[in-house]
Amino acid sequence: MIPFRALLRKELAVLFGAPLAYLALALVALVTALIFFDHLRLYNQTLFLYASTTMGGFQSDTIPDYINLRDTVFFPVMENLGITLIGLVPLVTMRVFAEERARGTDELLLTTALGPGRIVAAKFAATFLFVVLMMAASFVYPAMAIVEGGLGAQHLAAVFVGLTLHAVALASIGLACSAWTSSQLVAAVAAWAVGFVLWDFDWMKSFRFVGPEGGRFLDLLSLHLRYGSFSEGVVSVGHLAYFVALAAFAAALARFSFLWRRVAG
Amino acid sequence: MQEPGREGEGAAARGVAVEARGLTRRFGAHLALAGLDLRIEPGEAFGLLGANGAGKTTFLRLVTGFLLPSAGEVLVGGRSPARDARAVAPLLGFVAETTRLYPELRVRALLRFVAGARGLAGVLAAERVESCLERFGLAAVAERPLGHLSKGFQQRVNLAQAFLHDPPLLLVDEPTSGLDPVQQAEVRGQLRALRGERSLVLCTHDLAEARALTERVAVLHRGRLVALGATEAVLGGGDPLALFRGEGRAA
Repeated sequence: MIPFRALLRKELAVLFGAPLAYLALALVALVTALIFFDHLRLYNQTLFLYASTTMGGFQSDTIPDYINLRDTVFFPVMENLGITLIGLVPLVTMRVFAEERARGTDELLLTTALGPGRIVAAKFAATFLFVVLMMAASFVYPAMAIVEGGLGAQHLAAVFVGLTLHAVALASIGLACSAWTSSQLVAAVAAWAVGFVLWDFDWMKSFRFVGPEGGRFLDLLSLHLRYGSFSEGVVSVGHLAYFVALAAFAAALARFSFLWRRVAG
Repeated sequence: MQEPGREGEGAAARGVAVEARGLTRRFGAHLALAGLDLRIEPGEAFGLLGANGAGKTTFLRLVTGFLLPSAGEVLVGGRSPARDARAVAPLLGFVAETTRLYPELRVRALLRFVAGARGLAGVLAAERVESCLERFGLAAVAERPLGHLSKGFQQRVNLAQAFLHDPPLLLVDEPTSGLDPVQQAEVRGQLRALRGERSLVLCTHDLAEARALTERVAVLHRGRLVALGATEAVLGGGDPLALFRGEGRAA
């Protein structure tokens, strides 16, 4: 455990020692705030429109049911946040392995008591900790929508778990991409590509690239379905297992990259 | 948890043997090492010479286990880095050609990290770090980020991290590459102080460095051994540069 803890501490020191970490934290908080206040503004404008065009609109139940905090603010915020994270999380993960390869410090790591397994575990753990912090920093806005929308504490917890798991899944994808290249740009672009492809396969069904069977199979891989389920307050063991399996697969891919380098050079 | 530093103190005094048997490494169609047979004795200061691309760094990477051989094997203290990298790791300290370690970390923090990564903890780790800071003349810059140091100081840090656990085998790749003459002299002085206590394998294309630091050398040309023997015998007579061009002679 000593080598693992040493690398974990080093990774956190490097993460928090770089301006990019604070930039990413600030960017996620800022983007979440912008998305939230933009939808809140739309919601308020809609309410104002109904109030001004209908005499006594607020009192006479003339506002349609779907104009509420839950449907007009909370769900769109979550949807936009899920997509925004696909763009932002790779900014955090792109350097984690690629930078070591570019500097040649992976050779140093591999001549210590750290094997590839411990290196991958420590780097994944440090990045996950950072991502959880990132989500905690930006959770205040979805939380406000949940509380004001009267959705309850359980829903609040489910959304935080879903949001964090989504970010962790994206971090896993980003880390796996970073492990296979020495270029941070390539790592980021690859993570964006994989993230956007995995997000939703509905477009494939719309264009009839896949049949119903293929569509059902692709749904098994979709991030959006799981993320959406948590957004609705549903915590399912199957969906939890999906995120765990995705992170484990990404970690295995990252570990395999070390073996591949030993063979291929 | 094993304490390589403590184990190393005894082992370092003797050093460990490095033995290559038919060691071959290919990168696609390129043959980087072609059936190298070589034995480096415990406690020996050994130089591996050759032009760029001769296979020196590939040899070191095979010894560390960073690369797997395409054929043949290399043994460090009788253990194979390819099969048991974790058992070999405590036996060696590696100074890679790059001096760009972690520019954002302070010197003491970097050494503490490497000590931890090598399994050293607590008082022992702290003692080893402070001892290395003193030994390599780094105490005055211990709280400065590596990125703010000169190349010479960065190379000292590189040597210090390899020496932290007092390994019986030190692998050093082009240690003075890119340094000015004063920095080169400092680094050579550090290496001179380290040899004799342990096995030293020095990869270089600098003949003066090989003469100053090694007892025996091997010269590689395009992955093949073209000369092997006592340093002065190999580099002393005739045109040593002819060896770099692959014109070998027995020594």
